[in-house]
Amino acid sequence: MDDQVKKKILVVEDDRSLQNAIVEMLTNENYQAISALDGEEGLEKLKTEKPDLILLDIILPKKDGYEVLEEIKKGEQKNVPVLILTNLEEVENVQKALDLGATTFMVKSDFSLKDILGKIKENLK
Amino acid sequence: MKVSLTFKNRALFWKFLDEFNFISSCKKYNLGLWQCPNFLFLIMTIITVIAMLTTNYIAQFYNDEAVTIFSVSGITVLIMTVGSFVIRGVEKIAEANIIKTEFISIISHQLCSPLSAIKWNLEIIETERDGEKRLSEKQLLFLGNIKKSNEKMLKLVNDLLEVVRIDQGRSVFVKENAYLEPIAREVVAELEYIRSFKNVKVDIEVEKDLPKVCIDSKKMKMAMENLIGNAIKYSKDGGEVKIILEKKGKNMQMTVKDYGVGIPKYQHNKIFEKFFRSNNVSKYRTEEVGLGLYLVKAILGNFDGEVWFESEMDKGSTFYVSLPAVKS
Repeated sequence: MDDQVKKKILVVEDDRSLQNAIVEMLTNENYQAISALDGEEGLEKLKTEKPDLILLDIILPKKDGYEVLEEIKKGEQKNVPVLILTNLEEVENVQKALDLGATTFMVKSDFSLKDILGKIKENLK
Repeated sequence: MKVSLTFKNRALFWKFLDEFNFISSCKKYNLGLWQCPNFLFLIMTIITVIAMLTTNYIAQFYNDEAVTIFSVSGITVLIMTVGSFVIRGVEKIAEANIIKTEFISIISHQLCSPLSAIKWNLEIIETERDGEKRLSEKQLLFLGNIKKSNEKMLKLVNDLLEVVRIDQGRSVFVKENAYLEPIAREVVAELEYIRSFKNVKVDIEVEKDLPKVCIDSKKMKMAMENLIGNAIKYSKDGGEVKIILEKKGKNMQMTVKDYGVGIPKYQHNKIFEKFFRSNNVSKYRTEEVGLGLYLVKAILGNFDGEVWFESEMDKGSTFYVSLPAVKS
């Protein structure tokens, strides 16, 4: 658990009610949750906070998830696992995210918070 | 028997006549008579017949080449004009279909976020760790009701989205070799609240040493949810549902049998159509939309599988799913 306290997770999600639930879950599990409401804020917090893992939505204001992902993969923190969390499940969206280097693709309506937590733990090992 | 046959023939006769009821067809497409392909096609047929007769008449009585060329050209222009109207009508229907599909897709996507938010926030409330803030039994019961309603809405939205994705060839199928039994058991466990509400007994019979099948487990689960869910929902209270998993030749077969309301024979050919709901079934379950079996067929098609059924009114239905077994 002590090891988990040090882990920082950046949640880039524009829907506050979804973001609040994720942040609460992460805090309960002793992670340090940092939130961003749009793509630009997400990229800024990536630089300043240096998270260990990113939960990234695709439809975002200012810069969408694909643009954010592209910039992450070009930058210094390209090895940080990026877990896509979206409701766009069409083949072209999944393919595009994976081609850009996303670690995994999760569909919000299919995943419970417990499932998301499982994926986070899996990718922080 | 004689009475029912007469009734059946009469129904078929009216159905045949209804095929020529262009006004009702045009109303169905929400198009004016001069935009409706069915009506325009009739006009085109009439013009073609008149054109043939007129050409024959002119050829018999006028031996003038210019008159023949002029009349044939005139008729050709007329047919082409009506033809272009037919094309426009068809385009209009196609356009309406695209708009409808896009509308379903946009609305469903928009609904996914608030429904996911409800689901996750409920999960947070349920897992509240602070002893003092814990909910009472009664509050938990009502919370459970909200959760079930939310799950129902999510399933409907997910089914709608999946239908659109499959129709547009945009659905993701991640195939792997997997056993059917754990998926069937997971589905039965998730349908526990419907099962217990109707007091239906669900039996799972599994043959030993069954092979794997090449499927996308998530999509297979979706198909099973619909098949097993229907069997439970349309069973009589206190009824029974049997699920059998066995090997049949080179294939794996899953049988889902219920002793419920059944499907009327005259509607058997429509059962896998989109938005189809059998007459007797809609009396029992008013909240269904008729996408389940369409999805089942479409999903199984992606695994080279098949689905078929036997059903008798008031005696129940048996659905069979067959999938190629993976060679071990």
